[in-house]
Amino acid sequence: MKSVARTLNNILPYVYAFAFIIAIWQLAVIFSNAHVALLPPPLLAARTFIDLIISGELFVHIGASLGRVVVAWFISASIAIPLGLAMGHWKRFEHIVDPVVEIFRPISPLAWIPLAILWFGIGETGKIFIIFIATFFPILLNTVSGVKGVNPVLVRAGYVLGCKTDRELFLKVILPAAMPTIIVGLRISFGTGWAAIIAAELVAAQVGLGYLIADGMEILRSDLVLVGMAVIGILGIMIDSVFRVINNRFTWGD
Amino acid sequence: MSDTPQILNTKGISIRQVGVTFGADTEEPVEALQPVDLEIEPGEFIALVGPSGCGKSTLLNVLAGFIKPSTGTALVGDEEVLKPDIDHGMVFQDYALFPWLNVIDNVAFGLERQGIAKAERLRRAQENLDMVGLTEFSNKRVHELSGGMKQRVAIARVFATDPSIILMDEPFGALDALTRRFLQHQLLEIWQRNRKTVVFVTHSVQEAIYLANRVVVMTARPGRIKLDRKIELEHPRDFSAANFRAYEKTVYDQLDEELAKTFQLEGGVGQFHD
Repeated sequence: MKSVARTLNNILPYVYAFAFIIAIWQLAVIFSNAHVALLPPPLLAARTFIDLIISGELFVHIGASLGRVVVAWFISASIAIPLGLAMGHWKRFEHIVDPVVEIFRPISPLAWIPLAILWFGIGETGKIFIIFIATFFPILLNTVSGVKGVNPVLVRAGYVLGCKTDRELFLKVILPAAMPTIIVGLRISFGTGWAAIIAAELVAAQVGLGYLIADGMEILRSDLVLVGMAVIGILGIMIDSVFRVINNRFTWGD
Repeated sequence: MSDTPQILNTKGISIRQVGVTFGADTEEPVEALQPVDLEIEPGEFIALVGPSGCGKSTLLNVLAGFIKPSTGTALVGDEEVLKPDIDHGMVFQDYALFPWLNVIDNVAFGLERQGIAKAERLRRAQENLDMVGLTEFSNKRVHELSGGMKQRVAIARVFATDPSIILMDEPFGALDALTRRFLQHQLLEIWQRNRKTVVFVTHSVQEAIYLANRVVVMTARPGRIKLDRKIELEHPRDFSAANFRAYEKTVYDQLDEELAKTFQLEGGVGQFHD
């Protein structure tokens, strides 16, 4: 019973927020008198949403977008985590690599679109590249700070408890101690990657939630645009809450 | 449990002209520890007391292999201490348990490093948890334990690997008075059973005299040895007994001089007791 009440408590604010947004939307439709192609009423959008579900089209878009984010995020993690571990561990290495990272970090994934098209064409690779850029830095920076933030007394304890080499210490103490921070980075980056799918799928996509939005604009179907946006928002929350569960398993409350 | 100590791995410690200067190659080197000599017998329980910054923790860190002395050598048995070693166990003030492991895996950590098979190391870890009275807690997570329990896990962990010396850096400093008394009592019981060489750093004169068979008082920075006194009292010792008080007075007289010096340096005045 308690867990049901807690779940309800967690969901309730979202229900309020949803109702609030719908109300404002409906009021905007009534008072702005805008053309239905520019601002459709919520009910019409809901219909479009249901139609997309029934036809199965929505799931094709979701699957395509999610697939791209997952692939890019995996590639990011498999580069950023080892690099971050090395940067956090070897000061000298960090001194060399950090300036490079700092120069690239402020450049938005959007700025990479032209190069992505030139280099990789309009296929999948370019899209994954954009999302890769969006997911890379949060993982890298969190991994670095995770390693640097390891309590020095745990390192000492590791040594007096028989870690003879740096490698042993790294695997048995530093990596597990840094793990919660690394997982936070993975979680944040999945969010930034998910937010970047629009940018990625603006590049001549045939399928995906970003495509749904771009296509809706071109054929003057703002209901499609709004449904695409809503689905991105809702899925974003759902994915994040999955991560939060994983996160909690790896944190140990000091 | 009988009173006859088990035959266990234990070694003496020789500190020969060990001195530590921090930042020796900078413009403002700080001498933390003047060269000191100290011979510790195998199986001795020695307490180091002194004002803050007297170098007692520095000396302990030299013995642990965390700090290289600027002068002299520290030997455990007849081997010079050059780096940390599982044979030189340590208990830290802030427990230093690994929060990603549960209680029994913390205790078994060192055994795993020694390459002991899983079943055997879990058995030994459990045995050491039993010893500190935490039999039921083996599967708990570290953050579920109180401070006193955490330190008992740390004590079980250090005894589990059977080191030949045990270094304790103000292990009970962060605990409340009652928990502290309980842990002092428990540590003594364990020590009386296995008679390992213990070097115990503390701020508390009472704790030092209650536990140790030898109390070493160190001076304000740079640290030197000011008093080295055997405590010839039977265990369990009584805080309020006249002979206990007499030892306390001897130590406090020495410490008060040092505190006066420290506070003169800092512009303070007066006499201080714990």
